[in-house]
Amino acid sequence: MTNNLRVRMLATVITLGASLFSTGAGAQELTAVDNKSAKPRPAPRTADGHPDLSGYWKGTRDTVPGGNIAKDLPGLKLPLTPAGEAALQHNLTATIDPEALCIIGGIPRHNASGLPFEVLQGSKKVAFLYFYSYYRLIPTDGRKHTEDPDPSFFGEEVGKWEGDALVVDSIGFKDEKVWIDENANPHSDALHVVERWTRPDMDHIHVHTTIEDLKFYTRPFTYERTWVLGKPDEQLQEYSCSENNVDREHLGFGPGPIRPDGTRGYLNPAPLPPLPAPAAPPKK
Amino acid sequence: MKARLAILVAVSALTAAAPALAHHSFAAEFDGQKPFRITGSLVKVEWTNPHIYFYVDVKDESGAIVKWTLSAGSPGALSRRGFKKGDLKFGDTIVVDGYLARDGSHTMDARRVTLADGRVVSGASAGDGGPGAETQVPAR
Repeated sequence: MTNNLRVRMLATVITLGASLFSTGAGAQELTAVDNKSAKPRPAPRTADGHPDLSGYWKGTRDTVPGGNIAKDLPGLKLPLTPAGEAALQHNLTATIDPEALCIIGGIPRHNASGLPFEVLQGSKKVAFLYFYSYYRLIPTDGRKHTEDPDPSFFGEEVGKWEGDALVVDSIGFKDEKVWIDENANPHSDALHVVERWTRPDMDHIHVHTTIEDLKFYTRPFTYERTWVLGKPDEQLQEYSCSENNVDREHLGFGPGPIRPDGTRGYLNPAPLPPLPAPAAPPKK
Repeated sequence: MKARLAILVAVSALTAAAPALAHHSFAAEFDGQKPFRITGSLVKVEWTNPHIYFYVDVKDESGAIVKWTLSAGSPGALSRRGFKKGDLKFGDTIVVDGYLARDGSHTMDARRVTLADGRVVSGASAGDGGPGAETQVPAR
């Protein structure tokens, strides 16, 4: 057998091995391909007649640019006020990504994240569970906002059903140690988020988000996204952010360069060195 | 050369099939213009989420030992690529290609690891915006 043939066989084995690993229950994928079926299965409903949003939901390649709250705006341009522009510059040049420091991302940032989430729906409360063991509990028992909610990363959230949509209205946000998305865009404590969650069919969940923050943005803007239902044996995994966060000592301010397509990273990174020469076979 | 390309293609197929997600941007920590290679002896492995870390002793020109910290993807993602924690054995000589930290420390993002048995494995944190991450992840 020639060396070339051996290496080709190894490559084939590695690829086959990948398919095996990727279908195993213990090795679930964190994202999904959205195979839009011709005959969607109807969304399930709870005993009280509402769509049941419960499920393990995974992002797809259709969300571009990922992690960018301006995804749906022309030219990816957020309507920043001068104060908002100053806050953005502060985030870019003087703050480390709060999530990388194990601080809760909050809303709407979790809706722009690439990580899956899980919904458990009860008759008077809906729980959204996230990687890093974060969660939010949304009451749907008819209560209103309090007069002076304590600031929090997810805000004070109140849910209600409007037809088949779960509408979540959130106020009372923190204004420090927060980025509104992965690109370090800002929000203030004046943030008001309205999410309309629907489950158009069994395999999809959708959110239409209206983001209003008149301190930092001249007008409200929207963000929409669809996730795909995970496999029946998939669920959130333990993900302990602060267990061994070696990176935190080495992180710079901001997310680094933002490319013209709205994603994070270098436009033309230098290539890695060529592969090292394989070890010579032992002489007989 | 073709043979090496075949392995690279296989490794790319793995990473495309098995995305995981970093919890910070590649560019927040590493310099895309500073690719680097180290060859050294493995002394410690921390197989933790959301990144594994491994530590390699490298001899510098004067013979002194320099300790390097290497960051890679999550255990789940690496396992799916065929990169198991048992593949890293203390005392093994490994070659790591990656990008240096921007802060000048002996810290590197391990994008590609050549194991002691010659296997080449992608160590990248998919979805972090680092070189090659676009083919691995999609959803951020």
